Amino acid sequence: MTRVRRDPRADRRAAQIASLDRPRFDLAGRAADGGPGRPRRNPRTEFAALRVTGAARPRFDRQHRGEGAVAQVVSAASTPNVIVVDAPAFLVAVVPDAPGGRLTQHDRQLFGAARTLAGAHGAVAALVAGEIEGLGAIGADRVAALASTQNYAPDVTAAALASAFAALSPRHLLFPETPDGGDLARRLALLTGEPLFPDVEQLSATSVSRAARGKRVAQRAAPARLMTLGADVVAPYSGPAREGRSEPLPTAEVSAPAITDARRIPADPATTPLTVADFVVSAGNGVTDIEAFRRLAEALGATPGASRVLCDAGLMPRASQVGASGSVLTATCYLALGVAGAPQHLQGVAGCEHVVAVNTDLHAAMIERAGLAIVQDAQLVMPALIAALESERAS
Amino acid sequence: MKIVVLLSAGAHPVSSAPVLPRLEAQALRLALALGETTGLHAGPSAAPAADALGHGLGLLTHLATREGDDPIPALVAALKAETPDLVLAGRRGQGGEETGLAPYAVAAALGVTIVADAVALAPGAAPGSLVVEQALPKGARRRLVVRLPALVTVHPGAPAPGAYAYGVARRGRVDTIWGVAGSAAEPNPIAVEERPYRPRPKLMRSAPGTGSAAERLAAATGGMASSGANVLVQPTPDEAARAILEHLRRIGVLAPAVANKPAA
Ligand SMILES: Cc1cc2nc3c(=O)[nH]c(=O)nc-3n(C[C@H](O)[C@H](O)[C@H](O)COP(=O)(O)OP(=O)(O)OC[C@H]3O[C@@H](n4cnc5c(N)ncnc54)[C@H](O)[C@@H]3O)c2cc1C
Ligand SMILES: Nc1ncnc2c1ncn2[C@@H]1O[C@H](COP(=O)(O)O)[C@@H](O)[C@H]1O
Repeated sequence: MTRVRRDPRADRRAAQIASLDRPRFDLAGRAADGGPGRPRRNPRTEFAALRVTGAARPRFDRQHRGEGAVAQVVSAASTPNVIVVDAPAFLVAVVPDAPGGRLTQHDRQLFGAARTLAGAHGAVAALVAGEIEGLGAIGADRVAALASTQNYAPDVTAAALASAFAALSPRHLLFPETPDGGDLARRLALLTGEPLFPDVEQLSATSVSRAARGKRVAQRAAPARLMTLGADVVAPYSGPAREGRSEPLPTAEVSAPAITDARRIPADPATTPLTVADFVVSAGNGVTDIEAFRRLAEALGATPGASRVLCDAGLMPRASQVGASGSVLTATCYLALGVAGAPQHLQGVAGCEHVVAVNTDLHAAMIERAGLAIVQDAQLVMPALIAALESERAS
Repeated sequence: MKIVVLLSAGAHPVSSAPVLPRLEAQALRLALALGETTGLHAGPSAAPAADALGHGLGLLTHLATREGDDPIPALVAALKAETPDLVLAGRRGQGGEETGLAPYAVAAALGVTIVADAVALAPGAAPGSLVVEQALPKGARRRLVVRLPALVTVHPGAPAPGAYAYGVARRGRVDTIWGVAGSAAEPNPIAVEERPYRPRPKLMRSAPGTGSAAERLAAATGGMASSGANVLVQPTPDEAARAILEHLRRIGVLAPAVANKPAA
């Protein structure tokens, strides 16, 4: 076999780059596709490719979301695959808090933890009173309905849970470490005589741990049958939707509750700190009518917040500043009026579940973050909102 | 109303010296405002719980038990003999196992109602009833009417403890009696392995993508949270207001327009 003879002069000529003044050569062969060496990036052409066409002023889509995102959504919708576990080896039961029939972030994390414990062969069962939507999507294979109580009656609920515990005999039963979840878990521990491993701080399929003695020691154990899970310990389940098949439960006999009356008192927005408030309405530099903003916050029953610009200007108290150098919110809903959505501001909003934005600029970052965005002058929307709330109250 | 406050021997959160837990001092304040109060402590030494005398407690009953004994049988026996209308405890201990199971065990053994996380107490309208205000997440409260006798645990959101006064502490009395000898505290029914505590990083709500700097920033600020946003461009103010109110009602942060009856 004869080897092809190389002609060094021809090679060199092939590596020459077209240039105007003096001869230049690309000897590493970077210019040609598939040549040796690392491909060279041209930052200018990459940046130019990000430019959004059709915008009045130059805008750049740095997350490449323009077309890629749309294509992804279509493919996900066309193959709706639901995971079905027909004959699970064991059950991991979860008792979400779901105040008012709505799942909290903590509840979702609970399902993530249950999924970790269930592994490939187990099934996650949700024990819920009343109708709750979307349990399959957050990782429930089975849904068992507990008898719902009209009023707050934890003793009755605990008795119902004890009979469900006996009927399903799950390998683990998980509660959130919240006032209501923690209370139920401890009641159940006493009713069933099953030891409780409370306030889990770290969870894996084979071990759990918690802090004790004033956070001086960490106690580690194999996952117990009854556990309560702290907040922000495990990520929520993010896999494909699960079946959420309903599982029948025997009805438990109900005793007379000892609590004769229960009434929920909503948080007073005037005294609730911004960090724990459930609903925050906040003003940015786009709000000039602060008086109307205050009236709106009061009419909505929301805790007022502000961006740094307004706090620096002395228009709002410093304690109401939202963001990296202010308060980090845990609110369910954040209504932003005339806030541009600087990264320092958005860091404070990262934990909010729903964001509503009112801004005159369609391309503001706050509009991008929002689930409902209104491109309109805040000075016009605020009085309209107040008027709508007042007319509702009057009728 | 006859009230007993359960006082444990806590450890100071910083120095771990034995002290009266703050939560139990708060419980004591709620109790003193409500009626005739005594304290009850089960353990080898009354010294840490005796701090409660300086917060205004007149009489502390110390049930002497051996080191390492389970305090629950002693507490239950003493409470059965005394039959108080109301028993107050902290929602969690401080410096021990911190499981918060002790009040539930006592209530179950006494067969009384237990209500958790009280921040305010008041006598009820009907005789033999108590109005308890419970702390819920996000600053909400729940007002309950409870039939007595009951055991109520106290939440840290309750009024701050009263000031400690040396003279008042001198006037208080500690009665030490032998408590019912419980079995040695059953070694933790769950086999645990203990090691020095190491703080763990909290989970980030939106895990940062490993992608470009722009993606990581978007993850930190929640930018990825909403795709397919509902954008209304230049609606009339009334349209905008209606859309916002409808959205707020759908996600449940605003009470429905018609119903003004309170929910449980
Ligand atoms: C170290 C550091 C820390 C910081 N920490 C924080 C922090 O914790 N919190 C914080 O908020 N900021 C913080 N900032 C400042 C932040 O970078 C922004 O400057 C600030 O958030 C911008 O506030 P804004 O959106 O209210 O104002 P602008 O950026 O002025 O935005 C105003 C917005 O309102 C819109 N608008 C104008 N008129 C109207 C109208 N009539 N109706 C409706 N919309 C209108 C505009 O389109 C614009 O989007 C920090 C900055 C630094 C450097
Ligand atoms: N030895 C004890 N004597 C009296 N009260 C106690 C004792 N141990 C616990 N308690 C009460 O039970 C509460 C919760 O304790 P724990 O279950 O250890 O978290 C405490 O705040 C006390 O009110």
